Amino acid sequence: MKQGYSYRFGSRGARSAPYLLLAPGLLLYLVIALGPSVATAAYSFTDASGILGSPIKWIGLDNYKEFLLMGANVRDNLQVTENTFLFCILVTVVQTVFGLAAAILLDMRMRLSNFFRTVYFMPTILGFTIVGLVWSLFLYPMGGPMQRLLGLLGLQSEFLGGASMRVFYWIVWIQIWANMGVTMIIFMGGLQTVPAELREAARIDGAGSWQVFRHVTFPLLTPSLNTNILLEIIGSLQAWQLFLVVKGPTNGINVLSIWVYALAFGRQSNNPTGIAMRQGYGAAASMVLFVIVLVVGMITQRVLARREGRILG
Amino acid sequence: MRKRWVFVALVAFLALPVLAFAGDVTLELLIHQNAPLVDYIDAFNKKFEAKYPGIKVNVSVVKADELAMSTQTRLTANDVDIIDMFGFAQGIQPYMKGADKPNWQALIEAGLLMDLTGQSFLKNFDAPTIKDAGSFNGKVYEVNTGRYAFTGVFYNKDLFAKYKVKVPTTWKDFVAACETFKKAGVPAIACGGKDGWPVLVAGYGIILSMYPDQAALVKGLWQGAIKWNDAKSLQMWQRMQVLARDLIEPGASGVAFDAAPGRFASGATAMLCAGSWDAPAIATANPKCNFGYFPLPGSDKAADNKYIAGKYDVGWVVNAKTENKDAALKWLALFSDPANYQAYVTAVGVIPTQPTAKLDTTLGREIAPYLANFRLGYELLWVQPKGAGQWAQPNAAFFKPYNQFDDAKKLADQAQADLDAGLKAVK
Repeated sequence: MKQGYSYRFGSRGARSAPYLLLAPGLLLYLVIALGPSVATAAYSFTDASGILGSPIKWIGLDNYKEFLLMGANVRDNLQVTENTFLFCILVTVVQTVFGLAAAILLDMRMRLSNFFRTVYFMPTILGFTIVGLVWSLFLYPMGGPMQRLLGLLGLQSEFLGGASMRVFYWIVWIQIWANMGVTMIIFMGGLQTVPAELREAARIDGAGSWQVFRHVTFPLLTPSLNTNILLEIIGSLQAWQLFLVVKGPTNGINVLSIWVYALAFGRQSNNPTGIAMRQGYGAAASMVLFVIVLVVGMITQRVLARREGRILG
Repeated sequence: MRKRWVFVALVAFLALPVLAFAGDVTLELLIHQNAPLVDYIDAFNKKFEAKYPGIKVNVSVVKADELAMSTQTRLTANDVDIIDMFGFAQGIQPYMKGADKPNWQALIEAGLLMDLTGQSFLKNFDAPTIKDAGSFNGKVYEVNTGRYAFTGVFYNKDLFAKYKVKVPTTWKDFVAACETFKKAGVPAIACGGKDGWPVLVAGYGIILSMYPDQAALVKGLWQGAIKWNDAKSLQMWQRMQVLARDLIEPGASGVAFDAAPGRFASGATAMLCAGSWDAPAIATANPKCNFGYFPLPGSDKAADNKYIAGKYDVGWVVNAKTENKDAALKWLALFSDPANYQAYVTAVGVIPTQPTAKLDTTLGREIAPYLANFRLGYELLWVQPKGAGQWAQPNAAFFKPYNQFDDAKKLADQAQADLDAGLKAVK
């Protein structure tokens, strides 16, 4: 015991106090996060339907075999996985670029900067349901605002009801629109940490705006960039809300997360009109998604950490 | 002293609602979104609450494609008493190897649905309905309240008269009628394409015309006697493509299913491909809309197009673990009373399942000539083999602009290949 200090709980209590204080938070994490995750993993090896009172049988790897190897499921589920990666790449790249551009513009402290910051951030607080409904109305092909604009040019589009990939790209755009505010705020925080004198010094040495950005600002934004990329990759791999609101889980192109929802809560083996609760099967699909997110997340983190170490030393 | 009185006042304030409702029963009802159904149930519940003052009814409304999931979660949470459940369908046949049992069967086997066998109100309903739509292993679990037809087409009689178009009885006449309207600048057919399933349902009329014995079609597909890419099926696909690409109006892929009846009712289109459940919505949207209903003629022979297919729709099941059993049974009994049931039929537009009730509406009169040829639709019978691909379905919405296919032969081959993948996997 250090001289001059008294411990309220005594020396033994002092050693156990941190663990006791951590216990409530840990318990909450176990009950709300880790526990259900472990339960999902366990369910994935059963034929659980999720119906209270239905017997649950251990079926080993049958769900995984059905999802990954059975019949045409291989093709369909692989396609859904490809869609998931495509969605992730598009959202991550475009959202990062747009978020950075918005942050740089707002950092210039022009007139109405605060107003525009609020406007850009507002979609984030609306929630996916409202965002999806707003865009569904905006893109209504029978006279919605966008259709009226196209109509002036003699054009027409099916928008969200059109050919599957068109809907997919619209959902990518809406996802970016809904989340760009967060990316922008993180970048703005990063820009605050870039010392103004470094930029000044570069300008005095004759660097143009682009050179200042490329060689001074952007390298120092590495921590913010890494945070944004990691958040966007993990978030977009798990995105499903807009797919549900805009098109529903049994209609057209899907990504893995909404596919998991459809399989666990309604789809009868790829039959859009059949209903069967198969939460064991859905759990297996969600474990596949978990592994993908885990692997991609870990690789991304390692690559970004190395890059940060190389740039910032 | 003052603090003590403030404390007493606070406790009393909080306790008042509890005391006020002590002894009151709240019956939780779950139904799917169908505007006339929701309106009728709201009005009926007021009548029920007036008759039974100690019982309140609380209604939750969900979209039709979320009803199954909501049912399962509410039953698990045991916070629902009466549930709207579509008539029992997709029963597993002996030749369907490895198929998933339907949800309703899983709920019954889990002991979650109340056995209603012997309840007096069941006698008000016709025996075939009780047997076909609500029974399992000799016991009754559902009171089915009505059937809908979904292989027909609503048509605007005034527009048909204006452009001198007769009600088509063959596929050729149907296409010609649509072309007449298109040339006159009137979109031919409205459909709620955004949700996908209305276009799927629109194609059912073509399937029915090609394969009037829908049960035989299902069996033939499972056993290989019928293929999705044989000559007859190919014609079916080609006609589905024409329907989706050429006859349903452009932009329909962005119209939600509950917006399509309004478009038709407003006179924006000459026809509407939808189930007969939309008749009350049309009448409400425009009481002056002079509409009729005919079977979609998918065949070149008029004799093949006299059938109409549909499904058993809203049925009532009761949570087996409900604490309000008495109240739930009272609700069902009052609902099943012939006078109330007749009001329900008129409001919601179902084909009655009580022998004493009549659908004395525009739709009822239009559909009456076809009721003798009423068949259960394909989707009520089809169970997909596990491992079958996503294209193993006769779905008009697979064609552009709703999905990726613009070649009927390619889709026919793909559909059969996807089905074969499943049949092989479950052998």
